[in-house]
Amino acid sequence: MNTIKNKYIGVILLSFFSIVSFAQDAKNDLMLSMGYYNNNNLTQYLVAHAKTKIDGKFQMVPDVTVKFYINNDSAATNLLGTAITNDKGDAVLMMPPSAKAEWMKSAKHTFAIVSTASKLYDEAKATVDVSKAKLKIDTTDDKKLIVTLLELKDTAWVPVKAVDLKVAIKRLDGDLNVNETATYTTDSTGTITAEFKRDSLPGDKEGNLTLIAKVEDNDIYGNLTAERVVKWGSKFQYVSQFDRRTLFARRGHSPWWLELLAYAIVVSVWAVLIYLIGQIRKIKQLGV
Amino acid sequence: MENLEKEQIVQDLLPQEFGKQGKIWVACLIALCVIGFIAYCHQLSKGLVVTAMRDYASWGIYISNFVFFVAISLVGSLITAVLRLTDVHWSTPLTRIAEIIAVSAITFASIIIVVDMGRPDRFYNLFLHGRLQSPIVWDVIVITTYFFISILLLYFPLLPDLKIMLKYKDRTSKWMYKLYSFLGSFWKDKPEQFKITDKAINILSITIIPVAFSIHTVTSWLFATTYRPGWDSTNFGAYFISGAFLVGSGGVLVAMYVFRSHYNLKKYITYDHFDKMGKVVVMLALLYLYFNVNEFLVPAFKMKKPEEEHLRGLFTGEFAPIFWFAITTSMLLPILILVTKKGRRPFPAFIAGILVVIGSWFKRYIIVTPTLLHPFLPMRDVPASYHHYFPTWEEWAICIGSLAGALLVITFFARIFPIIPIHETITETEEHEHDKK
Repeated sequence: MNTIKNKYIGVILLSFFSIVSFAQDAKNDLMLSMGYYNNNNLTQYLVAHAKTKIDGKFQMVPDVTVKFYINNDSAATNLLGTAITNDKGDAVLMMPPSAKAEWMKSAKHTFAIVSTASKLYDEAKATVDVSKAKLKIDTTDDKKLIVTLLELKDTAWVPVKAVDLKVAIKRLDGDLNVNETATYTTDSTGTITAEFKRDSLPGDKEGNLTLIAKVEDNDIYGNLTAERVVKWGSKFQYVSQFDRRTLFARRGHSPWWLELLAYAIVVSVWAVLIYLIGQIRKIKQLGV
Repeated sequence: MENLEKEQIVQDLLPQEFGKQGKIWVACLIALCVIGFIAYCHQLSKGLVVTAMRDYASWGIYISNFVFFVAISLVGSLITAVLRLTDVHWSTPLTRIAEIIAVSAITFASIIIVVDMGRPDRFYNLFLHGRLQSPIVWDVIVITTYFFISILLLYFPLLPDLKIMLKYKDRTSKWMYKLYSFLGSFWKDKPEQFKITDKAINILSITIIPVAFSIHTVTSWLFATTYRPGWDSTNFGAYFISGAFLVGSGGVLVAMYVFRSHYNLKKYITYDHFDKMGKVVVMLALLYLYFNVNEFLVPAFKMKKPEEEHLRGLFTGEFAPIFWFAITTSMLLPILILVTKKGRRPFPAFIAGILVVIGSWFKRYIIVTPTLLHPFLPMRDVPASYHHYFPTWEEWAICIGSLAGALLVITFFARIFPIIPIHETITETEEHEHDKK
């Protein structure tokens, strides 16, 4: 009887440890992706994105250490830098000046990202190929924008046709299209022409607006932008509301009607009280 | 009132020394005040973190207590001013009781608001940086004004009584005699003095009514000007004032019974006074019930999504026991008791008054806290404990201490001054006798 009992206990323990060891070994797949960004032909950076699938839903993975490489995903000389993903699963790396020599070697590059293995995830990799390209914005006197997309071929910049791009005006919380057309496609000369139809749009105090042309998530060129400041907006004259007399203003700036009303009530009631205190004095004098 | 001799009236109404019961009562009140003071010292040294108030319930029982004190203080204007101006004479023996309740309540309302500030040394900021647009500034102004009017309304009718008390040197201690001399040695019963006093009381009676309405309307606006479920109401001023008159009248019923029994004032606070005061309470309870129906039934009928959680919490949820307790004890039971003639006898009326006062305190708690726990926009990333509020021992001790403090002021006042106006009682008795002839 005891032997049978011991056997059952052994089976239960084995099952328990196998479940525990399985649970310890179970790791979710980490999926990495990457984007290349060139803002206004000045700032270049790479964004790595880490996500995983839990219970059939994609979830962003924070705190993943990601190494960024150029043209080779293991050589220390090709390492651009390391970054850690944030709450949104994004890790950003600005292109370091030390990468200039490698960048100048060719018109096309392959960027790679590698995440180091952890208790939760195995090592993961992703690559993206990028051809060097740039956007150029020109304007005409009759408020037209001419945007040209150029790609570097060997040593020469050549126009690129059939690429979608957007033309907009930079505003505080997003970009505003210059007219009703959301997206343009470059012609054989690599250009698009867009008419500016946002007259009287408030600019700064000089009337300056910042135009922006964008290529987004392109398979060959990544994300490119170019900007140009034009005086096509209306001049914005800032009128301070700080001294206005309102109910929500600061101390000493309440509306006149409120001040008059409040002080009139306070003064009249207290005048009565002071008068009555005077009456006490009078009663006192009568009693002397 | 029976045919009473002048001397008998004076002897009956002069302040009496504390008996054994009185001394025990005072000792208990002082003990509660001391415990409250210790709790406040603890709060001062550790900060408001010793309270249960957090990001959600930033107003707890301190503010409930404040609203309660402000509410009960309004009875001064009702009994002294409204009834006086409408030529109602039966309330004469009750005027001083009502006024001292008003003065003590408004004093402790001011104290409790400073307690709620956490850092009393920052109170001066209200004067340095206060904005005229803020209801809090209006509240400070009207509370101060109401306090002074109530003091004057207590003082002017006291002047003839001070002269009477000065005559009875043997019945007073040395310091009390000095106090009477300081306050009223100049009173000589001259007709000119009476003329001035009567005029002053009339002016004060007229002035106190708008100020009393302002004080509680402004207090209600502290809530109503804040966009929150349960407070977002245009009805709040009237709702608060009707509730204030009710709790004040309930307080007067209680005080009438206590003073009548303890000081043997049965000849002066008669069955008739309880009967009339009971009717006043029934009327005010019905009025307050009407405003409550408005305040809760209309939003409940619409049941707008943001209000739903708040209302369900009150009707059937976390706060339902307190909510229904408050409604039942402050309105329904007192109406049922006082609506019958037997119920308006002294003892049942006293019980009804107690119910009104206790229920009304919890009613203020219901007005303040549940709303704060259900804002339109929930806060993010706050600990789960912040979603509930139950006062800590420091809060209970301070609130109970403040209530004891208010009672102590009333008790000491009754020890030093006549709680029923002597001179007015004599005058009214003489007039009564004259009318009989």
